[in-house]
Amino acid sequence: MSLARDPAAAPVSAWRFPRALRPRVLIGWGLLVVALLASAPSVEAGRMLRMTGEAIAALATGGKSQVVDGLGAIGRQMIPLQISERREVSRIEGFDRGRLPLFSRIEVVDARTERLDPETFQMRTVVERTEYLVEPVGYLVRVGVKLWETLMIAFWGTLLAVLMSAPLAFLSARNLTPHVWVYGAARAVVSLLRAVPELVSALFLVVAYGFGPVAGVLALALHGAGFLGKFYAEDVEAADPKPQEALAATGANRLKVLRFAILPQVLPQYIGYTLYVLDRNFRMATVVGLVGAGGIGQELKGRFDMYNYHHVGTILVAMFAAVFLIDQVSARLRRAYF
Amino acid sequence: MSAEPHIAFEGVSKRFADGTLALDEVTFHIPRGQVCALVGPSGSGKSTLLRAVNGLTELTGGTVRVDGTPVDAAHLPQIRRKVGMVHQHYGLVDRASVAENMIAGAIAEIATWRALLGLYPAAYRAKACTLLAEVGLSPEHPTRRVSELSGGQRQRVGIARALMLDPEVLLADEPVASLDPRVSVEVLDLMRREAQARGASVLCSLHQVDLARRFADRIVALRAGRLMFDGPAAAFDDAAALAIYGSATEAVR
Repeated sequence: MSLARDPAAAPVSAWRFPRALRPRVLIGWGLLVVALLASAPSVEAGRMLRMTGEAIAALATGGKSQVVDGLGAIGRQMIPLQISERREVSRIEGFDRGRLPLFSRIEVVDARTERLDPETFQMRTVVERTEYLVEPVGYLVRVGVKLWETLMIAFWGTLLAVLMSAPLAFLSARNLTPHVWVYGAARAVVSLLRAVPELVSALFLVVAYGFGPVAGVLALALHGAGFLGKFYAEDVEAADPKPQEALAATGANRLKVLRFAILPQVLPQYIGYTLYVLDRNFRMATVVGLVGAGGIGQELKGRFDMYNYHHVGTILVAMFAAVFLIDQVSARLRRAYF
Repeated sequence: MSAEPHIAFEGVSKRFADGTLALDEVTFHIPRGQVCALVGPSGSGKSTLLRAVNGLTELTGGTVRVDGTPVDAAHLPQIRRKVGMVHQHYGLVDRASVAENMIAGAIAEIATWRALLGLYPAAYRAKACTLLAEVGLSPEHPTRRVSELSGGQRQRVGIARALMLDPEVLLADEPVASLDPRVSVEVLDLMRREAQARGASVLCSLHQVDLARRFADRIVALRAGRLMFDGPAAAFDDAAALAIYGSATEAVR
């Protein structure tokens, strides 16, 4: 073979290298700009830009800004963070003076008030004695307990999501479904589950099951099942059909084909999706807590509504620390096993 | 040995949903223990005919009988237990171990709950090891993933899997299409040896005429769904091949 050009071919001058920035691309960019300008008013993009700009200017020059002032006011009230817990002894049920919690002490406060004696019509000083139980790291412990509860809500929500989605996925995979109608029904259920956000179903579940983690677990499980059902089903449909046919040729039933030809193919992706849902559920578990579905979110909402910003500060720092920790652990796990 | 044919194709026809006629009244019989190669150009109906034997293809006309039993929905489980199959792209699960793939060959005989729990009967576990040794693999192979094996090793596993239930009939659909020429010869020789040791009949579709001549007792050639040649492998000379493939370059591979 020689590298010389075929003399019969078109001359090099007849060749054209295509332009990257051709008219079609330019029109595309133009349409994008038009779409942005047309949609901006519906989200008050102008106000967003103006107020954010003011905030940046205020931070740089020390001027006034509604955003900086508002956030700053709350932020200043969060510091110092609430670490200890102080409760009135008379309000603690079943309080036993002989068995105080670890590291705690009792604080006595004498409040003096001037009061009119109804018999002598003279002012008298009355001493009201109140006892407080002070636990130096009591609130930190309480936040820790609530964080653990949140983590468990996420874990159980994910577990139930996996259990619910597995049968849904196989019924809604085109190559495994026993009947077209079953396929359609399963698809509809999966879509419905995914369409209802956790927060919305939590609102209803709190009404049904009362305040606490049960509503949270179920809300996360329902949405997670919709998400996993869709993705599991798509992987089952995309699985290599050749081993499935080979299994069918040996006389295997549907369940055996699933176990021996499909499951080994889709398992790595399944583990990936499930870890993602677990990760997402931990963050969503705090959000569903805001409507009373248990965990740290419920504590946050309660404190926020009572203007206890020191407590809010502690909760936010603890949440950040927990998410950071979980990220580190899951990154390590992924590196170790995948 | 009975005088009755082991596999009987009687006026077998298949028209696909799009109207293509893949098989047109194909009739021939395979006696017990014969090694029969199916040749013909791509799209001539080789695979379709082969897959009619274990019901992977539903026929639109005629019947296939194995040992006198018609291949239909009612007899399918019974037929599939005694018909082993070797596949073109191995049909193995790459991510699973060789052992799991071997068990899949006997899965029809294992109770569903045992299969799902992974409590495979000892007899099948022992059988899998014996067969893997027979096809030339080593003791470390059962725990390996299929994705770690070479193409030749994969098809050896494919053959061993097809033998798990001691089939009376061995079907092979282009078993060496993804293998190089030297390994192809080894794999076909192995398949012939294993089948004859068990007295099993073999029906094997092949793309390469020279391999078919070397491997088979008898060659059946199809073209556009019609039976064009049926005779001893030695009788399938270059002139016959040319008639089937239509051009010399196609035939000589």
